[in-house]
Amino acid sequence: MSAIPTHIDFRRNVQSVEPQVPASVRKATTRFLDTRAAVVDVIGQESWQALRQAGHDVRLHTINHLDYYLARLEEEVTRAGGHVHWARDAQEANRIVLEIAQEHRVKRVVKAKSMVTEEIGLNRTLVDAGVQTLETDLGEYIVQLAGTGPSHIMVPAIHLTKEGIADLFREKLGLDALPEAARLAALARAQLRQEFLAADMGITGANFLVAETGTLVLVTNEGNGRMCTTLPPLHVAVAGIDKVVPDLESLNVLLKLLPRSATGQKMSAYTAFITGPRRTEEENGPKEFHLVLLDNGRTIILQDEITRETLLCIRCGACLNVCPVYNHVGGHAYGFAYSGPIGAILLPQLVGTKVAADLPFASSLCGACADICPVKIPIVEILLRLRRRVVEGDTVEPAVSPATLRLGVQMVARAMSIPWLYDLAGQLLRIAQAPFRRGAWLPSLPPPLNRWTMARPLPALRADWRAAWRRRTPEGRTRQRRIRIALVAALASAAAYVGWRLIQRQDRGE
Amino acid sequence: MNKHPARDEILGQVRAALGRRAETSVANVPASARVGPRQAGDANGEIEMLLGEIAKLGGNPRHLESKADLEAALENLVHEEGVKKATMWQTSELKELGVAEYLGTLGVEMISPHADRDQLADCDLGVTGVDAALPETGTLVLRSNPEKPRLVSLLPRVHLAILYPPLLDADLGTVLDKLRDDSCVTFITGPSRTSDIELTVTIGVHGPKALHVWIVEKTDRS
Repeated sequence: MSAIPTHIDFRRNVQSVEPQVPASVRKATTRFLDTRAAVVDVIGQESWQALRQAGHDVRLHTINHLDYYLARLEEEVTRAGGHVHWARDAQEANRIVLEIAQEHRVKRVVKAKSMVTEEIGLNRTLVDAGVQTLETDLGEYIVQLAGTGPSHIMVPAIHLTKEGIADLFREKLGLDALPEAARLAALARAQLRQEFLAADMGITGANFLVAETGTLVLVTNEGNGRMCTTLPPLHVAVAGIDKVVPDLESLNVLLKLLPRSATGQKMSAYTAFITGPRRTEEENGPKEFHLVLLDNGRTIILQDEITRETLLCIRCGACLNVCPVYNHVGGHAYGFAYSGPIGAILLPQLVGTKVAADLPFASSLCGACADICPVKIPIVEILLRLRRRVVEGDTVEPAVSPATLRLGVQMVARAMSIPWLYDLAGQLLRIAQAPFRRGAWLPSLPPPLNRWTMARPLPALRADWRAAWRRRTPEGRTRQRRIRIALVAALASAAAYVGWRLIQRQDRGE
Repeated sequence: MNKHPARDEILGQVRAALGRRAETSVANVPASARVGPRQAGDANGEIEMLLGEIAKLGGNPRHLESKADLEAALENLVHEEGVKKATMWQTSELKELGVAEYLGTLGVEMISPHADRDQLADCDLGVTGVDAALPETGTLVLRSNPEKPRLVSLLPRVHLAILYPPLLDADLGTVLDKLRDDSCVTFITGPSRTSDIELTVTIGVHGPKALHVWIVEKTDRS
C-alpha cells in the first residue's frame, strides 16, 4: 500500500523503473485497447460518440449540481436504512471507518478493490489499530503480499510475472504452486474463501452512487465485491463526493461506457446495485450499511471551471492504456494511487501542486487520452492549466516553481512574442553555446541546464533558417548582410557599454 | 452547536465553488445526457444472441424445449459437475418446474437456501431463476428477497440459472427502471473471471467456477 507522499519526484521515479516493467505494461495496455476497439466497433462509431457525449453531459451536469445531488443521496441512503458519514479529509475518513469497526468489535476486514481507500491510506489505519485488513481482489491481494502499491487501475499487479507471484506465495503464505495463472488463482480462492466467511466487516469503494434511489453500484469481475457486500454483517463503502450520479437512467449511459472502456467487456461479470442493508435476514446481506462520503480536496478541484472536469472521471483506465508516457514508465512512477494522464491531472489537485508539481509535465500533450476518454475530460487543457498553476500560480494555489524558472519562462515568452528580440536571442545563444559545442551536440551544460544534459545531449542550435531564406535572392543577401552588421554593431556597442560601466564601477570602488 | 460540521462544511464549500448562495432545490438532467433504447430483434434472434454472448464469456448456455429436455439436462449436469449437494431459490416458478424433486431422484442432497453459510459454501450447485436478461451483453438480472437469497448464486461451486424467454429485455435502460424496490440487484454476465495474473483469463475466482444458463420454453411448464 502506498503512503500519502510529501513530494513526488517523477524524474527520479522514472529512473528506478525496472527494465521489464514497460514490456509487461504494454502487453496489458495493448490487450485492453484491442478488446476495447472490438466492442466499440460492435456499437458503431456514431453511437459510441453519442454515448461519450451523453456520458460527458450527465457527469458535468451532476458535478455542476453536486450540492443538490449529494443532499438527495444522503436522504435516500438514510431512507433505505443506511448511515451516511461525511469526511473532510483522509484523516477524518480513516477515523470514521475505524470508529465503526471498533464499535462493532471488528477483528477481520475484507476489502474489495477501491482506489479511494488507497488514496486515504485506510489499510494502514486499520492495521495499526489491530484490525486484520485483507485485500481480496486477486491483483490487490498479490500487491498487498508484495508490500507495494497497485501499478494499474484495472490490473494492480501488472508489473509482476507469474513466476514472481509463485515465489511470493511460497515466501509469504508457505504455499507451493506451479507458476500458472489458474493454479495461483485457485490457491488465492481457497485462502480467501475462509477469510470471507469469517470476516466481521466488508469495505468497498463505489463506482457510482445513485442520488435518486440511494443505490451503490459496484462493477467487478471476480466476485470478491459480492462476497464483501454479502457475507460480513457490516458493509462500509468509502466514496469520493464525485461518485454521485442523478438517477438510474444515467447508468444507462455510464454502464455502457465504463466496462467497454476499462477492460473491453460489454458488461463486467458482476454489477451489483446495493440500496441500504438487507431488509430481511433470509435474503442475506449485511445488517448495517455505512457510506462515507469523502471530500479530501475535491471541493477545491471544483473551484476552477476548467480543472473541475477532472471530477467527471469514472476510473476506467483507458487514458493509461493509450498514454505513451504511461506505457514507458508504468504506474509506480506517478508516486501515488492514481497514475497515467488521469493521475497527472488528479494528483496535483488532490495532494497539492507543491507535492506533485512534476506530474502535469509528465505528458507529451499528444491528446490521445482526451480522445479515448469515455466522458470526454479535456485532459490536455487541464494539464496546461495545471502547468500554468505550477509556474505562475492562480486563484486556487500560488506558484510553486523556483523564481529562476518563473523568470526564465517569462523571458522566453517575451522573447518569442517579439520577432527582433527572438532573432537576437537566437544569435546570442549561438554565440553562448560555442564553448560547450561538440559537433552537432551539446553533451554537457552548466547547472541548472545540466538537468537536461544529465539524461541526454542537447542538439546544438545550428543554421538560422530565416537567414537562409532571406539569402535566396540578391536583395535578401544585401538585407541579411545589413542585419548581420547591425547585430554585430549592436553587440559590440552593448559590450563596450558594459565594459565602460565595469571600469567606472571599479574606479569608484578604489 | 453544529451537529454535522463536516457535512455542512463540505456542502458549503461545494456551493461556494459553484458560486451558489443557497441550496439548490431542483436539478433537471439535460436531454443531451440521455440515449435512446436499443430496439429488440425478433424473439428467436434475441434468444440466440443471449445464449451466444454467454457462451463467448465461458458460460454454458442451453435452450430447452420441453420438460423432458430439462430432466435430461439436469441429469447431465449432475454427472458432469459431480453434484452431491445443491441449494435453490424458493420461487414458485422453480417449484413448478420440479427441479428439486428431480435432483432428489438423482441422489443429490438438497440444502435449504436459508441454511448456515458454511453449508451453502459446501454446496456444489446453486439453482436460481432470473428476473430479467439482456441479450446484447449476455447479462442475467437477479433480484434479492427472502425467496431469492443472494448466497445461492454466489457460494456454490456451480451456478445454474433458469429463465423463460419473456424475461428478455431489449435494453439496459428498461431493466434499470425495474431495480427501484430491492435492497440488492445483481447483474451476472458470464462466470466469475480475472486477468490479474499476466493477463491470462482465468474463470472462477471467488464466485462460482461455472455458470450454466438454461432457457426453458414456458408452454411446457405444466
